[in-house]
Amino acid sequence: MKLKSQIIDWTLFYILVAAVPVMMYFIFIWSPVERVLGPAQKIFYFHVGCAWVAFLAFFVVGVYSVFNLIKPKMNHFIYAGVSAEIGVLFTTVTLLTGMVWGRISWNVWWSWEPRLVTTLILWFIYVAYLFIRKMDGRWEKIARLSGVFGIIGCLNVPIVFMATRWWNSKLHPVVFGEGKNETGGGLEPEMLFTLIFSVVTITILYLFLMRKGAEIEKMRTRVKQAKNKLLQKWAN
Amino acid sequence: MMELIRDGFVIAGKDLRKEWKTKETISVMLIFSALVVLVFSFAFDPANQTVKTVIPGLVWLITIFSALLGLNRSFASELENGCLNGLRAAPIDPASIYIGKVIANFVLVLFVQMVSIPVLFILFDYRFAGSLLWFLATVFLGTYGLIIIGTFLAALAVNAQNSEMLLPVLLLPLLSPLMIGAVQASAAFAGGENMESAMSWIQLMAGYDLLFTAVCLLLFEYILEDS
Amino acid sequence: MNFLFFACTVTWLLIAAYVVVLGKRQKQLQAEIKQLEEWNSEQ
Repeated sequence: MKLKSQIIDWTLFYILVAAVPVMMYFIFIWSPVERVLGPAQKIFYFHVGCAWVAFLAFFVVGVYSVFNLIKPKMNHFIYAGVSAEIGVLFTTVTLLTGMVWGRISWNVWWSWEPRLVTTLILWFIYVAYLFIRKMDGRWEKIARLSGVFGIIGCLNVPIVFMATRWWNSKLHPVVFGEGKNETGGGLEPEMLFTLIFSVVTITILYLFLMRKGAEIEKMRTRVKQAKNKLLQKWAN
Repeated sequence: MMELIRDGFVIAGKDLRKEWKTKETISVMLIFSALVVLVFSFAFDPANQTVKTVIPGLVWLITIFSALLGLNRSFASELENGCLNGLRAAPIDPASIYIGKVIANFVLVLFVQMVSIPVLFILFDYRFAGSLLWFLATVFLGTYGLIIIGTFLAALAVNAQNSEMLLPVLLLPLLSPLMIGAVQASAAFAGGENMESAMSWIQLMAGYDLLFTAVCLLLFEYILEDS
Repeated sequence: MNFLFFACTVTWLLIAAYVVVLGKRQKQLQAEIKQLEEWNSEQ
């Protein structure tokens, strides 16, 4: 059992070691330069990959939250928490790269673009979720409370996106139309391949971080158990 | 179903009677909302004409801030003498506790709004130009959504040591779509412009309210469960 | 072009920082487990 999970860990690690340089090569050298925006367009590959993982992580939090409410389990609780933590990381990266992107194409750091605003609110919901998990108390209780919040937060995301979209379309009817990547629609095959490759690589990175994080959280429960045992021994 | 609502009214009656006797929460909420208006007048020069367009938005800032005070108290006050455990042990559906708390908070916040919105409009000399009925409907829908989510999260946050600090952090991001809609719709109805687009905002708010009423009623028992 | 490098650096720096934090946590917990198990086994 332990050996098997170690093998998975190492496989993921070696895939990453191989894939990340290849991804960088694809992004910086192999993929064609965009005509309008120039080389800066290549931010897009990081940006989309991280955004995808951020939303995936949030979805995972929602799914494990539902599991937790149906039947509380330590593993579900741990996975939801680790996923939220990684989600915060990737949402931050998405926001930062999105800001750089906005600076290049619209000449403002923050453009209240619907997707950007949705991601920002998503970030706040994630952080609030992590605050709930910081509460003290028995883990079953925290699992229940954070699970409830996770479900509500997940439901909220599509509504936020709709609201920000309507809100913005009234203010700026034409400037930010469909497709924030100006390549939208006519994506060249090399670009598409690079995009898919980087999305897959970053997803593998997510899986790897997820396993590592879960392992650490499990160690934390082991520490707690050992402490309790020690206290009992000393009490006797 | 009827029983659920009847029990809810009993709990709301208990809360409101207690509030009527002591007036401790409502007085603070009223004074606080007046102070917020005062601070706004420092921040936005009332003589400036462009400020007029943001006044309907300020209604929501006042509402959120004063509601946060009331929401913080609504479950924290039950912690004294283990009243919350008494409610848990009572032979009623947990959802009716939630309904009761929602009604009580809703009445409190509506009362504060009844005072603070006219005060805001008078102090900033705002000339109402749109449809009063639709404006009130917007205020009603927005406040209802705020209370539905706020009461739910107040019950969640009361489990933490720092519940007063935790509640705004939990509440505000979840509230953002409702508040975008509420600010847009109330600005349109108060100013009498863009009434058609405001109708779609009303629909969004109504949808939000319905969705979260159902979800919160379903999930409330998980929050209240003792452990 | 500068912006591209900036964005790229930010991305990898943040991810690297997270990995470092994870590694630190793991090391600390490992030390703690070792210590606790030592205390547990001695009579």
